[in-house]
Amino acid sequence: MALAKLYQGIILEHNRQPRNRKRLASATHRARGHDASCGDDLLIELAVIDGRVREAAFSGQACAVTQAAASMLTEWLQGRPVDEVGSGLERFRVLLENPAAEPDEELGELNQLRPVGAFPARRRNALLPWKTALRALQDPGTAAS
Amino acid sequence: MPIDTVKSVVREQLDVMQLREQFPVLAREVHGKPLVYFDNAATVQRPLAVIDAMDDFYRRYNANVHRGVHQLSVEASEAFEDSRRAVARLLNASSDREIVFTRGTTEAINLVANSFARPRLQPGDEILITHMEHHANIVPWQMLCEQTGAVLKVAPINRSGELLIDELAGMIGERTRLIGVVHVSNALGTVNPVAEICRLARAFDVPVLVDGAQATPHERIDVQALGCDFYCLSAHKMYGPTGIGALWARESILETMPPWQGGGEMIQWVSFEGTTYNDIPHRFEAGTPNIAGAIGLGAAIQWLEEIGVERMKAHEQKLLELATARMEQIDGLTIIGRAAEKGPVISFTLDGVHPNDLGTIIDHHGVALRTGHHCAMPVMQFFGVPATARISFAAYNLHSEIDVFLHGLEQARAMLV
Repeated sequence: MALAKLYQGIILEHNRQPRNRKRLASATHRARGHDASCGDDLLIELAVIDGRVREAAFSGQACAVTQAAASMLTEWLQGRPVDEVGSGLERFRVLLENPAAEPDEELGELNQLRPVGAFPARRRNALLPWKTALRALQDPGTAAS
Repeated sequence: MPIDTVKSVVREQLDVMQLREQFPVLAREVHGKPLVYFDNAATVQRPLAVIDAMDDFYRRYNANVHRGVHQLSVEASEAFEDSRRAVARLLNASSDREIVFTRGTTEAINLVANSFARPRLQPGDEILITHMEHHANIVPWQMLCEQTGAVLKVAPINRSGELLIDELAGMIGERTRLIGVVHVSNALGTVNPVAEICRLARAFDVPVLVDGAQATPHERIDVQALGCDFYCLSAHKMYGPTGIGALWARESILETMPPWQGGGEMIQWVSFEGTTYNDIPHRFEAGTPNIAGAIGLGAAIQWLEEIGVERMKAHEQKLLELATARMEQIDGLTIIGRAAEKGPVISFTLDGVHPNDLGTIIDHHGVALRTGHHCAMPVMQFFGVPATARISFAAYNLHSEIDVFLHGLEQARAMLV
């Protein structure tokens, strides 16, 4: 059953024990992702050195799906070249919109979020951390906020 | 109790099972479970009386209104104007000339903001609203204030979600040009003392606009007794269709208001040198209106009158009382909005369960509820929560549906915590 797949195993595990849930003093890039209608309010912080994300963290209040997605994404981002983040989002979007798709090796553990695809109303939650990270990279000015 | 009295008490009570048969959607299943529709404050379901009235219009006498001499147009115009009379009756307006059809409450408020308030505002003038307003009764005033230099003032609420009426009274002054207040809060359920607010406003000769979107399905409304100047409603909250609603305004006020949108219907004579405008209320109804919607609204009002708003309210208040008592027993559950007088709305949070996740899980028990900020973000900010879950009742809901909901709540918690 789709619901059991959504709220089991790795997603719940990341929700209960999120990775990189902290503030990042060394952040060079920061953005706040707000999904007003769901009440998700996320801060993504990235420390970028020489074109690579050296460290990524998130904080804020969010539902289980957003929190798990942020936890997995911040893991995935560590050491990632900045210019691969945008294409990563596109690959992740394909994954969400095609629940029957094969796992995408490039995305690693983020493949575990595929069950979210069966809940069209919840895809936005899985995408929020991505979009926020991308916005942080595109607009480093928000790092000051 | 004498037999006759018993009989009359039974007659007074709502036959909910019979009522449910009038709502085809209630027979459907969601994820293999019977639908439990607890999202009535967002939009209520429609009875056959409304669906059939709109269907009948399209099948039998679809035509534009006030435009033709042919039979279909005459019939359509009559039905359309009958609905206007029904709205006037519903609100106890003095005349159907006081009823303007709009797309809903939001458009009605925007109409008042732009046609009534805008020409009267000078920099430093004040619009007074409350902290529990829906975005529809915040943003139009904010926009207007930005454009005119007027100031938006906000009367505070307490932790129960009740308006601090004394504070509001102290905020009405020489610069107050309008007070906007929600009759029944969609996010908290609070019923506001509108008549008292109107009395306070009268002393300063300040007009009062009432957002009645959540009140009309649950309360008998009498605009003359309330003493307000504008009353706004949405058909889809009161068993009618979406995309139609109404503004009631005193005739003497409407007469002073310039047109808001230009187009057909709102004119008397058009030339390139100038245009003379139609009489009220048509002056405010530019373009071909939502005719089927208005007819559906008229049917909804007739249906409400037949069932009886008081009987529906008694049933809904029992559901509210029962659900509140049961929810108070649940550890970690906090009800947001504990006003002494409430509409059938319960907003709540559950420790360890984000409303979004609750909404998804409980949907699989067939229960439709609302999660999020309920278009009242300042209310969420006041209570320090990003979002709440909300259940809201209509006349067709059952006590047993509360059991299904509570079971789903426990299942959600077991799954997540």
